[in-house]
Amino acid sequence: MTTSRTALVRLVAGREIAVKLRDKGFLASTAVFIAVIVLAVAVPALIEGDTPEYTVAADDAARPVAETAATLGAAGVPGLPSADITVGPIEDPAAGAPSDPSVSAVEEALARDVDVALSVDADGTVIITALEDVPGDLEELLAAASSLVTTQAVASAAGLSAEQLADLTAPTPPRVDLLEPKPEQPVPPELVIVIFGFLFYFTVLTFGIAIAQSVVEEKSSRVVEILVAAVPIRWLLAGKVLGNTVMAFAQVLLIVGAGLLGASAMGQGEIVAQVLSVSGWFLAFFVLGFLMLACLWAVAGSLAARVEDLQSTTLYMQLAVMAPFFAAILIRDEGPGRVALSYFPLTAPLMMPARLATGDAAAWEPWVAMGIVAATAVALVAVGARLYAGSVLNTSARTRLGGAWAAGGRA
Amino acid sequence: MTSPSLQITGLTHAFGDRTALDQVGFEVRPGRLTGFVGANGAGKTTTMRAIVGVLAPDAGEIAFGGRPMTLEVRRRIGYMPEERGLYPKMKVAEQLVYLARILGVAKDQAQDRADGLLEALGLTDRRDDMLHTLSLGNQQRVQVAAALIHEPDLLILDEPFSGLDPIAMDAMAERLRERADAGVPVLFSSHQLDLVERLCDDLVLIHQGRVVAAGAARALREERAGRRYRVEVGGAPAWRPALAGMTVIDAGAAGTLVDLDETADPQALLAAAQAAGPVAHFSRTLPSLADLFAEVVR
Repeated sequence: MTTSRTALVRLVAGREIAVKLRDKGFLASTAVFIAVIVLAVAVPALIEGDTPEYTVAADDAARPVAETAATLGAAGVPGLPSADITVGPIEDPAAGAPSDPSVSAVEEALARDVDVALSVDADGTVIITALEDVPGDLEELLAAASSLVTTQAVASAAGLSAEQLADLTAPTPPRVDLLEPKPEQPVPPELVIVIFGFLFYFTVLTFGIAIAQSVVEEKSSRVVEILVAAVPIRWLLAGKVLGNTVMAFAQVLLIVGAGLLGASAMGQGEIVAQVLSVSGWFLAFFVLGFLMLACLWAVAGSLAARVEDLQSTTLYMQLAVMAPFFAAILIRDEGPGRVALSYFPLTAPLMMPARLATGDAAAWEPWVAMGIVAATAVALVAVGARLYAGSVLNTSARTRLGGAWAAGGRA
Repeated sequence: MTSPSLQITGLTHAFGDRTALDQVGFEVRPGRLTGFVGANGAGKTTTMRAIVGVLAPDAGEIAFGGRPMTLEVRRRIGYMPEERGLYPKMKVAEQLVYLARILGVAKDQAQDRADGLLEALGLTDRRDDMLHTLSLGNQQRVQVAAALIHEPDLLILDEPFSGLDPIAMDAMAERLRERADAGVPVLFSSHQLDLVERLCDDLVLIHQGRVVAAGAARALREERAGRRYRVEVGGAPAWRPALAGMTVIDAGAAGTLVDLDETADPQALLAAAQAAGPVAHFSRTLPSLADLFAEVVR
């Protein structure tokens, strides 16, 4: 009839997992998260493939500008957007004489599905006419084309040779030499940090609150009395924390995995490689960081007597999760502050992998930070277990920290 | 082998300045139903929580069969807490299986026992319902099943009868009697004195944290019985004897109640009754549990 500690802890953990797996809210939020990640990977890839298409109607004087813009748009000149520009006359060749003399040719052209009409006025200014607005890409290309055409005109009037003209209009760009080049990264590391940061923030918060809720539910339904009569309090806590840690990690893996699968399906192999190279540290720090706070989430639950009390008892925990998230995404420039935060136990789980992702941390640094987080986790688990033991059986009212600490020493 | 009994000695506990238990001591014997009776706040729940290990008392000893209440011993207790304790959002059968497994019962056996108990309690058709969808009475039956699921060696039940209808009450009483007959010491608290009187072999009366009476129910009542006699004389329902040292308390259809003082002889009362007519009933009356309770807490 003896039941081992491992078996009991596993039983309690198993119940936590089973409850989560049947929680419709949890399943729905996971599905939504996966969908968002897959879309976030797939949509830009789909959009990226399409070069925007524009139709420009130009009068005879403006035609060189329009054609130069089309050339520039097709060439993919560095610093200029790409676009597929079709140039046509302002008067519709298919139509006969203007049907209504009060409507100008330009207005008629714009009514014909032409994006902009281009003309040149008496003093040589190029005029772009559009109905509501001019697409940014197109305006940029037309502006560049206009100045190029003007330069060419002035240069040929000054009698420059074709070579001189070419030097003037297409100067050789400066060569960039990097002494300490960073690896080529298809995704900016800042984006990777924000994505992981948000994912962790979301997961720690939902599972942290789930732990607190599960504790307060057992308290308010008094089932905890039956459990405590038969199972040492600390084993109960261990099972709870273990079950939720497994689920939290599984959820993060699932979401990251779905994102990577989506990326590789869209042929974004480089993104997959880049994310994989940093995700190991992110995930390792996530597990440690989650464990570090998990017992304290249980304490936040056990200090409450009813579910309504959670709002106030989990407040500091919510801050403890929120602060590192904002620190990691807001403090991007390497400096003493960022380095310090990457070793501070609360912020290290996000900040150290973030510094690795931006290539600012040396290879030994994450190991040290991990040691610090692990040591803090051990300390906080001990503190959390004592506070939990001291408060979980006090079902009548909210427990104060001091009282829980004293009672936990006796339990 | 004789079944072990639960021994409590010198149990003392205070919540802050308030003494909840003061040298509480009694025995719960195997094979007997022991009623734990006391006013609200007398210390019943605190005592029971100390027995199952949910509360660590300031002082005192609790032993089961001479062994201290280690985890191993505690896991053999069937406990029903006062405010009940089950997961509201868990299916009935699943919940029982989980608790059984927590208490060390193997999975298959746990399933069999859960099914068996649910059938015995008439809840088979609710086995896959969430607990909170059941009526309070039915939830209480599940609670009983939870206390019995691991076939405990000791039953500690805090107010198992509260909120039950008379039929459910009888069914519950039957379950407890069954366990007691199997040699299990059963301790239960209740406010329903008539029920306790009808059901219990032993009694523990607690008042303001002290045990004021404990022992076999019958012996306790005998002990506190005074010299009150009830006489029924056929054909003379309102018979009132006028004898030295005797006071008539009541005379009516249920017979005549007479208190005798130290000097009076019950035989003289009987003789007088026989002289008045055929005697249908003559006995010394025992105080009811309610009388007893009123007396000891006074």
